Amino acid sequence: MAFLLLAADSLLRAGANDRRPLAEADLRVLVGLIAAFGSLYGALMGTFSGVQGDHSLQILYSALKVPLLLLVTFALSLPSFFVFNTLLGVRGDLIQALRALLAAQAGMTIILCSFAPFTLLWYGSCADYNAAILFNSVMFALATLLSQRLLRRWYGPLLERDRRHRVLLRLWLVTYGFVGIQMGWLLRPFVGAPWSSTHFFRAEAWDNAYEVVFRMVSGFVAK
Amino acid sequence: MLDWMKEIDRILRGEATRLSVLRLGRVEYKLGQVTIGTLLLAMIAGVCMACFTLFKHGGPDYMQAVATVVKVPLLFTLTLLVTFPSLYVFNALIGSRLSMISVLRLLVAAFAVIMPVLAALGTIVAFFSVSTTSYPFMLLLNVVVFAIAGILGINFLMGTLHRLTIAQTEPLDIFILDEGPEPAPGDTTELPPILQTTGALAPVPGYSPGQSVKNVFRIWILVFGLVGAQMAWVLRPFLGNPNLPFHWFRLRESNFFEAVGTASRHLLGG
Repeated sequence: MAFLLLAADSLLRAGANDRRPLAEADLRVLVGLIAAFGSLYGALMGTFSGVQGDHSLQILYSALKVPLLLLVTFALSLPSFFVFNTLLGVRGDLIQALRALLAAQAGMTIILCSFAPFTLLWYGSCADYNAAILFNSVMFALATLLSQRLLRRWYGPLLERDRRHRVLLRLWLVTYGFVGIQMGWLLRPFVGAPWSSTHFFRAEAWDNAYEVVFRMVSGFVAK
Repeated sequence: MLDWMKEIDRILRGEATRLSVLRLGRVEYKLGQVTIGTLLLAMIAGVCMACFTLFKHGGPDYMQAVATVVKVPLLFTLTLLVTFPSLYVFNALIGSRLSMISVLRLLVAAFAVIMPVLAALGTIVAFFSVSTTSYPFMLLLNVVVFAIAGILGINFLMGTLHRLTIAQTEPLDIFILDEGPEPAPGDTTELPPILQTTGALAPVPGYSPGQSVKNVFRIWILVFGLVGAQMAWVLRPFLGNPNLPFHWFRLRESNFFEAVGTASRHLLGG
């Protein structure tokens, strides 16, 4: 526990106060941080419907889902990132690039956890399910925005050294976003509606997020 | 087993297409192993595509899955066979010094770039295949993925052709610098500009090819791209429309570009 907090602290400070820890962060520690802080926020996120009976399962599911969302999306986008790095001739920097990407992710989960008290306060003061979902989306968006700062700090040396890293980082963000949106859609519900019983997957969830959006847009246009 | 991976890795890293290597007039790699490796990677990409038919509603269609896994390597082999003669003849007409076997090696190397990209994007294709029921969406996603792989392959082809031309016209002594171990990233300052490139796709700075060479490049891109797209059309279905029974091949009708338009309209029009 103390180790995790120390690691989180040094991750947030790395590069800002001293440049040394940037190169030394262990990839396994970063994955561990994502798993730990991701599931902590997930668990708190799943408390919306209360902690009694069936609904306590939602806490467990949400605690599993947040790290799953981040790490599985990462794993699925990794092979193409590897090949693109090789093709552009900068595979020597791959470990450093992965470290930067994982550090930004880990930073995102740490920032999310720091917002968790806000979420709990919101849950305590407003019982509307849709508002709870919206509030969590805002928290995720804010944490992602703030973690861009970390990403720039960790990826910075690579970007300065070689223009190709800029292309690769953009490619990564596009792929990761594309896969991540579908992954988030599949893993619904994260918050858990109070009126329905708890399931890991929603029965009707097994479809495509983009198709749903296309359908909504075309339905809107057709009106 | 791992030898073919190493050989393909050399091509992807651009080690097989460095100027000092190309001085001999051909891309240097083990043809047999790279061919086998490329076919294997094509089959891996095929397995990822076949996930769509394996996880569809109403049970998996195993025949379609087998067909998909066989058809991706077939696409590679047939495109190679169809484009090779004309590309070789264009090249000879323009007065290039590439021998027939060099052109073949170059084409196989291009596929050794395309197939790893396709297989690497396969994880994403497989994920969407498992979680999507929409046939038009998967069709378009696969078109995009193939297009990315194809464009990278064509880039590699053009870059290598360009370097081959340079390598055969430049004086020899400039290449001696390039024969040492690979320089550390960012550590290219002592090399002359012609050698300051790493990576299989990187252009050679300060050198632009002559007009006739440029024309050959354009013809290559056109032939390679059109034949690849049309070959994919002839070999369809790759995914297998869930509403149609399984066939090895569909009737001769329509064409690739029209079908992409139809799929886009279906997706957007609901």
